[in-house]
Amino acid sequence: MTLALNGVSYSYGEKEALANVTVAFEPNQLIALAGANGSGKSTLLKIAARVHQPSSGMVSYEGRALREWPAKEYARSVGYLPQEAEPAFPMRAIEVVLSGRAPFLSRFAWEGESDIAAAKHALEICDAAHLVDRYLDEMSGGERKRVFLARVLAGTPRVILLDEPLAALDIAHVQQFSRLLREIVDRTRCTVVFASHDLNWAAAYSDRMIVMRDGKVALDSTPAEVMRAEVVGELFGFEARVADGWLVPR
Amino acid sequence: MKKATLILLILLLASIALGIALGSTSITWGDETARTILFRIRLPRVILAAVVGATLAVAGVTFQTLLRNPLADPFILGVSGGAAAGAAAATAFGLAAHRGVVPAIAFIGACAATLAVFALAQRREHLDPTRLLLSGLVLNAFFSAIILISFSMSSANDVTAALRWMMGTFFGASWNDVVLVAVLLLIALVVLAFIANDLRMLAFGEDDARSRGVDVERVKWIGFGVASIITGAAVAVSGIIGFVGLLVPHLIRLVWRRDFRFLLPLCALGGASLLVLSDLLSRIVIPSTELPIGAFTALLGVPFFLSLLRRSR
Repeated sequence: MTLALNGVSYSYGEKEALANVTVAFEPNQLIALAGANGSGKSTLLKIAARVHQPSSGMVSYEGRALREWPAKEYARSVGYLPQEAEPAFPMRAIEVVLSGRAPFLSRFAWEGESDIAAAKHALEICDAAHLVDRYLDEMSGGERKRVFLARVLAGTPRVILLDEPLAALDIAHVQQFSRLLREIVDRTRCTVVFASHDLNWAAAYSDRMIVMRDGKVALDSTPAEVMRAEVVGELFGFEARVADGWLVPR
Repeated sequence: MKKATLILLILLLASIALGIALGSTSITWGDETARTILFRIRLPRVILAAVVGATLAVAGVTFQTLLRNPLADPFILGVSGGAAAGAAAATAFGLAAHRGVVPAIAFIGACAATLAVFALAQRREHLDPTRLLLSGLVLNAFFSAIILISFSMSSANDVTAALRWMMGTFFGASWNDVVLVAVLLLIALVVLAFIANDLRMLAFGEDDARSRGVDVERVKWIGFGVASIITGAAVAVSGIIGFVGLLVPHLIRLVWRRDFRFLLPLCALGGASLLVLSDLLSRIVIPSTELPIGAFTALLGVPFFLSLLRRSR
């Protein structure tokens, strides 16, 4: 159940976004992917989610190379939430979440009872059951994020990849959402990898932090190891001191 | 879904019945001339309006889904214009006598216009309305120029023929036209049904769709290809009739608001009803003259378009 990247590189035209990255996401871990904007976090998630094909190197899941996985079958195991996934047309929460069942549907099938049950269950886990018939454009940012997380969970993936899920949330929702991720990992023993450029929140509930810099893994360790004044000074140029495990400006 | 289909089917049948019953000549059974008018003129015309309406609405909803933009429509994108320019040039240079040439050149024109839109859309994930409208505007200006130049250069020098391509009409509809568009529409519906489950996932963006196992490139090529070909066929037989592909999906979303799988059959039924009724009105509003149907749909469509534009991001 390990998703592993082995010597993976990727470029957008001339610009190299990932350079020879080797990293493995193990089950039962909440993994924070930290780093400045443009450090390669999103690209790494996109490659793991099969959005992009690496220009070199190999990705494997459960010991099997990604290109040998049928696309739909892989999508049932690995769920991904991009930074932007706003639908182009008005949709109710239940429709959004049900679309997360797409990898399970055959070509002409419509969602059945079991899919609806899975969608409702996912909404409950995300504390969003009351939003079921509401339209997305009538919701707050925090409510929308919970609906989109429910959409990923509706596919019951074993690996969940989230790109900046905490961005644009107010502080109460950041905490609520971070706790929710922690609960999901503890309850289902799955893997959750989330990108965040906020170091404090990335560290707060996670088991492991992977720090990206210039398309490379600069540090892969526990939050306690990363959250030290000399480390963040070196990696981010952030002059900080640590108070109660929390980074504050010096 | 069943209820919506039933409502729209009843609407379509009622529209067709009205379209056949009403006209400048009243039809009575037993009269030989009246029967000729019915089977040779009025019936093919009404059925062609239905088939073209369905085609344009299906093309519209497909373009909207592919481009993630509710403002997309074969006319606004310039795809109808491309088809009309091809068809008009072929007619002006006397190629209309060879069967199949005009539609074939119309397909080429439609596909050329679609390639231009596709190239624009390729560069960005979300084609913003401004770029979409601007490119449609200049493409339409370009194609209008080709239509007018074709006719002024040709010996026919027939401005009404040029107007026919630019404003659309079902005057002179034949069963051959009906068969051409109907066959292509049926094929298109089958192909689109095959990719409907994938197409609707594009609503959340291409990255999201890829991560869910959708072969985005393939779905886009098939979708754009099918929508262009059926637009070409519709334009080849009836000229440019704008806003049908914008109006119909918009109205259906207002009532039912669902994904592409749901919209596809409903848009076909709704588009057919809309054009049968519009054609009927264009025939009977002013007795003994015909209003151009494209002008009619523009009168209906423009207010909707402006309200959509106001609300779009």
